[in-house]
Amino acid sequence: MIDHRSWHWSLAILVFVVVCIAGIATGAIRVPVADVLRALLGSGDTSSIAIVRDLRLPRVVLAALIGAGLAMSGAALQGTLRNGLAEPYLLGVSGGAAVGAVVAFAFGISNSGWIALAAFAGAAVAVLLALLVARAAGRGGRGDPRTLLMAGVVIGAFANAVIMVSLANAPPNTIRGALWWMMGSAGDASWQTIGVLALSIVGGGAALIYLARDIDVLALGEEPAAALGVDVDRSARTIYLLSALLAAATVAAAGLVGFVGLIVPHIVRYAGLRRHRPLLFGSALIGATLVVAADLAARTLRPPAELPLGAVTAILGVPFFLAQLRKAA
Amino acid sequence: MPVLRTRILVIAFVALGVACARKDAQTPATSLTDDFGDTIVVGPRPTRIVSLNPATTEIMFAIGAGDRLVGRTHWDLYPAAAAKVPDLGTGIRPNIEAVLGARPQLVLLYASVDNRNAAQRFRAAGVNTLSLKTDRIEHFFRATQLIGLLVGDTARAKLVADSVRKSIESVRAKTSGLPKPTVFWHIWDAPLITIGGGSYMSQLIDIAGGTNIYGDRPDVSPQVSIEDVIKRNPTYIITGPEGADKIKKDPKWAIAPAVKAGRVIVVDTALVGRPAVRLGEAAIALASLIHPKDFTR
Repeated sequence: MIDHRSWHWSLAILVFVVVCIAGIATGAIRVPVADVLRALLGSGDTSSIAIVRDLRLPRVVLAALIGAGLAMSGAALQGTLRNGLAEPYLLGVSGGAAVGAVVAFAFGISNSGWIALAAFAGAAVAVLLALLVARAAGRGGRGDPRTLLMAGVVIGAFANAVIMVSLANAPPNTIRGALWWMMGSAGDASWQTIGVLALSIVGGGAALIYLARDIDVLALGEEPAAALGVDVDRSARTIYLLSALLAAATVAAAGLVGFVGLIVPHIVRYAGLRRHRPLLFGSALIGATLVVAADLAARTLRPPAELPLGAVTAILGVPFFLAQLRKAA
Repeated sequence: MPVLRTRILVIAFVALGVACARKDAQTPATSLTDDFGDTIVVGPRPTRIVSLNPATTEIMFAIGAGDRLVGRTHWDLYPAAAAKVPDLGTGIRPNIEAVLGARPQLVLLYASVDNRNAAQRFRAAGVNTLSLKTDRIEHFFRATQLIGLLVGDTARAKLVADSVRKSIESVRAKTSGLPKPTVFWHIWDAPLITIGGGSYMSQLIDIAGGTNIYGDRPDVSPQVSIEDVIKRNPTYIITGPEGADKIKKDPKWAIAPAVKAGRVIVVDTALVGRPAVRLGEAAIALASLIHPKDFTR
């Protein structure tokens, strides 16, 4: 399937590279493209080097990692749960992470490292809780996908309540900070954050790609999968955990960036990819492109302010998705 | 008989005098209009007052009416005596019942959209409610005057306003001949929030002999991007102790020439954080930070 659509891949890679260069070359301060390229290699005047290397490059890299992680997470979950509405935040990741972060904000913590840690811890607790509930409630001790979805939704609702209680009487700047965090932003990009995120995304992504055949089989249904010799429970659980890890890592690094994980796998499927190995690769590439483009829009559309990344991903993603949907219909 | 006539005359004159005096006392303002456009009748001197705005709480204490406060916001830190007044919450969308439970005769509210409903409810419950904006220096003077009028102490109110005005004007006079370096005020880091021309803090920078790089923005607290700040290249970055700590640790801020040159000014956020009775002190503090060599109290 890959070979006769190889021009799709070339085009996707080209678009990704162009978007990344645009992301590094564009910003409030004008830096000519030639200087940008020189600055990337470490020559030219020091202020251009600083702007390109310390300000823009980390944002582009962070945005690309977030997009790749969320899109792969979404693709794996949609396949395993056999549900096109599945998305990375489904298993309570977003709610749990938001509770962790918001509670940290409410206690007056504003160090981004601690907030990231609190968000990750919150997401981990929520996902484990959802998996445990699904397992306890599932038929004969098995994790039933539908129960899992319900558990995720309910935990999400509970998380929302906790967030509202924490923020109801918080000082204005705390509320603004917490809301900003919940709307997602790549503005806090540092090489340290990128390092941790890259490890999680590359590790988790590689593991999912390794399990891609299992996802293919699980996508056929539990019984056919069992008939084909897949340990359904174990594989599914591993995939849920890996997907949740990817999502939680992105949330810890940049808050909630909605829509990417839901939509990108569909876009890639419309392009003709059905098997999960190429689907995961393709999702990573398109997801990265979408979020880099969205971050570029977020920091340039309304100067001198920045827009929330999560809102921009949705604004950019929806028309693209609808166009694809029409073409496919 | 003549004695009696004189007495009658005296009584008549006194009566007339009293009538005139009473009329005089009432005419300056029998009623006034607040920032929600509500009309507040100046009635008998209120003895139970709730202030749901840290700035008006400061004013109450400054004009000597602090002992009549029966409620304040959670954020009222100054003066220290304010801590003894019962805490009635954040002051935005207040708990109506909690406020009415303090049985106030006058409520002082911050006039933001969030509080419109509360003002209407307090008024419906028969409580005089004065809603005032306190975003700019002129708002402070107006608030002081109106509160003085309502609590029945116009003389003290005038004294307070005059003293603040005097110290502000003295700072302005001293800095008027000095160069006006550009200043970026770092309020919050994620999102990056600064102060716009609509804020009294932008006015304070101007009085203290600086230029706010976002003074062109009409809003009170605009959100900006770090790259835009670097582009506007402020000479100084003003922030609180926590913000300074973050700026020093963040490699992104290291690009800004002001940070490279160590021109990060740390202010006492409690002092400059309210458009109230310490505005003069705040102006002095800022001027001595922006012009360490040329400005002397």
